[in-house]
Amino acid sequence: MPITFHIPGALREFTAGRGTVEIKSSPTTLAEALSALWTLYPGVRDRIATEQGQVREHINVFIGNENSRYTGGLASPITSGTEISIVPAVSGG
Amino acid sequence: MIGQILGHCRVVAKIGEGGMGVVYRAYDEVLHRDVAVKVVNKGARIDSSASQRLLHEARASSSLSHPNICTIHEVGETNGELYIVMELVEGKSLQAMSGDGGLPPESVLRYGAQIASALTRAHDRGIVHRDLKTANIVVAPDGLVKVLDFGLAKQVGGSLFEGTTRTFATVQEASSVSGTLPYMAPEILRGDAADYRTDLWALGVVLYEAASGRLPFEGRTGFEISSAIMREIPRPLGPPIPPGLWAIVQRCLTKEPIQRYQRASEIQAALEAVQSAGIVASTPGLDPGAPRTAVLHSVRHVQVKKGDFLLLLGTTKGAFILRSNTQRRRWEVGGPYFHGHSVYAMAYDNRAGQHRIWASTASYWGTLLRSSDDFGKSWTNPQQAPIRFPSDAGVSLKNIWQITLGRAEEPDLLYCGVEPAALFETRDAGGSWSLVRGLFAHPHRPRWMPGNGGLALHTVLLDPADNQRIYVAISAGGVYRTDDGGQTWTAQNRGIRAMTMPERYPEFGQCVHKIVMHPARPERLFLQSHWGLYRSDDSAENWLDIANGVPSDFGFAMVGHPRNPDCVYIVPVESDEFRCACDGRLRVYRTRNGGASWEPLARGLPQKRAYETVLRDAITVDAFDPSGIYFGTRSGQLFGSSDEGKSWQKILEGLPAIVCVRSAVVEDASAGATKTKAVPVRDRETTAHSKKRTSLRAKR
Repeated sequence: MPITFHIPGALREFTAGRGTVEIKSSPTTLAEALSALWTLYPGVRDRIATEQGQVREHINVFIGNENSRYTGGLASPITSGTEISIVPAVSGG
Repeated sequence: MIGQILGHCRVVAKIGEGGMGVVYRAYDEVLHRDVAVKVVNKGARIDSSASQRLLHEARASSSLSHPNICTIHEVGETNGELYIVMELVEGKSLQAMSGDGGLPPESVLRYGAQIASALTRAHDRGIVHRDLKTANIVVAPDGLVKVLDFGLAKQVGGSLFEGTTRTFATVQEASSVSGTLPYMAPEILRGDAADYRTDLWALGVVLYEAASGRLPFEGRTGFEISSAIMREIPRPLGPPIPPGLWAIVQRCLTKEPIQRYQRASEIQAALEAVQSAGIVASTPGLDPGAPRTAVLHSVRHVQVKKGDFLLLLGTTKGAFILRSNTQRRRWEVGGPYFHGHSVYAMAYDNRAGQHRIWASTASYWGTLLRSSDDFGKSWTNPQQAPIRFPSDAGVSLKNIWQITLGRAEEPDLLYCGVEPAALFETRDAGGSWSLVRGLFAHPHRPRWMPGNGGLALHTVLLDPADNQRIYVAISAGGVYRTDDGGQTWTAQNRGIRAMTMPERYPEFGQCVHKIVMHPARPERLFLQSHWGLYRSDDSAENWLDIANGVPSDFGFAMVGHPRNPDCVYIVPVESDEFRCACDGRLRVYRTRNGGASWEPLARGLPQKRAYETVLRDAITVDAFDPSGIYFGTRSGQLFGSSDEGKSWQKILEGLPAIVCVRSAVVEDASAGATKTKAVPVRDRETTAHSKKRTSLRAKR
């Protein structure tokens, strides 16, 4: 089964308006899955990750219902059919 | 009818037939030109409504003069025949051209922009088309688009046709709704009145149909079509349709009018931006069809013309552009641009004959340098962040604090001061940016310390007389200068106290909040520090304390007079702990003798419970004489003085926290000036001040 990314509205202008993006390849880690996402849609990369390759401070990437920050970060394992959600973190200002 | 004379036109041949009339080719025997004549079909007239509707069409359209609107020449009645003489448009209807598979995206963008331009003109005149569809759009062989049949047009806000409009609406709903149903907006189906946004929905349908050859909302019956319009989302337009075009169509086809574009000009700008994105070579490896321009929500745009005066406002939640003229009395407000993004740096770049506004945006989604060549109607939204630390730097960009233009003779040169403290430069007008390694590799850098706002390189000053000399100010690192174009840098902080370090006068580490330099005397600099006001007369080799009589030497904002190198303005705050105007009285202080003494400038500024803060880049001057001074506060108030600070007026309030204020004159303003005129910033002489007080009230 493909990996499915849920894309927030703010980034859909970089995904041809798509709210969900399916990755047909079989990534084994979150880093590989994200890499596949921005191969398809390069514009999302700099919005999600810093130039040092880290997920931005106020962006959370959920694997299923788990925040990837607590499952191993970019090395978090990905299994077939996983749904990945990209969500701005709760912060004020 | 063939061979008959209508007015001074001889009918030659029938060329079409619509719901309310027949269209003939005719020859104008007075002006000797081919024309089209639309004649109301008498048989179709149930009552006088059709006649009135036709006259209405003619009157509405005849007031419109635009290359993309079919011109109405004459309206008349002969022997009971109502007729309209109009421009003969030869070409194919967009409906016929769209065919089954749709047009190439480039054509859709080109034609779409022309249709949007026609609607912009009509809407500006208060006229809504109400029947826009591909059958009403003709494309001439040379690619020129003509929008026909403003036949259901309605004078919005006018009273002349109000009664007949209601009648038309009734007739329309009763008799001919099926012809245009696929183009009708949901609010019309709900029974609401048409307004401009009804046309913008229809334009979305037209774009969809032109791009794909099919309608976005289809059905076998009127009920099914209506149901689809009300509830369904159109099938996405995939490749080869650029995502940017699809995004525009989606925005047009938003069910709620308030969530659509609010002006046809916005659609035109968006289409043109996608068009230009397709022409401009994209970065290798990036999707060439991806949008270059953001679609903005509920943004009001200013219409800028030569001689206008602009204020660029960066706030913690977006940017604004204020437009005025040389009088600087009334202001039109454009924006907000970049909803919710912090805009700490803006600049107006008119070098090389351009009108480019630069802005830095920072949000959850990173920090980007953006630009607009049309005064904010469209902004670049690059796929890859233009300013980025190389991977070996080990740090990531947090914010862009300063955008500094290169000297006039270097129109492709710009600098950006960023956080974490570093300097970036471009030598190809922003095409590519690189880290200034000489400063980044400075041995002091590991010992620079972040201030409350982060470790920011917030000021970049170029010596106009020496193209190798640059000054930067870092909070908290101090002042650094290069004399070799950026390869090597020296700390230039002799005489500046460091109140937050055990050593009172260290080589570096001072928390410098702002430095300014007068272009006519570049060896002279003024400095506002974290506790301390200073002047240097020797290119920052030595700094002299000039806090002579100010209520506090703590502050952020500082700006120099455009012509007088002895004159500087500051807005002191009470203390490090209480960063608000001293004693709750908002006062600008000015020195006109290089800091030997300071005078408060408070007339018109709030003097009770005004616990305001003016941040380091939230003050600016203009180049007029007398000079205008403008500053914004953290509480979102913008104040201005058009008499060099003698009196102030509130221009705007209720904005997010203002962090950047910049001014710009669009081309030479001297021709339109009366009491004031633009003066080159290098002129040293201060011209006599105008005694006239001017109002600076904004119109929102």
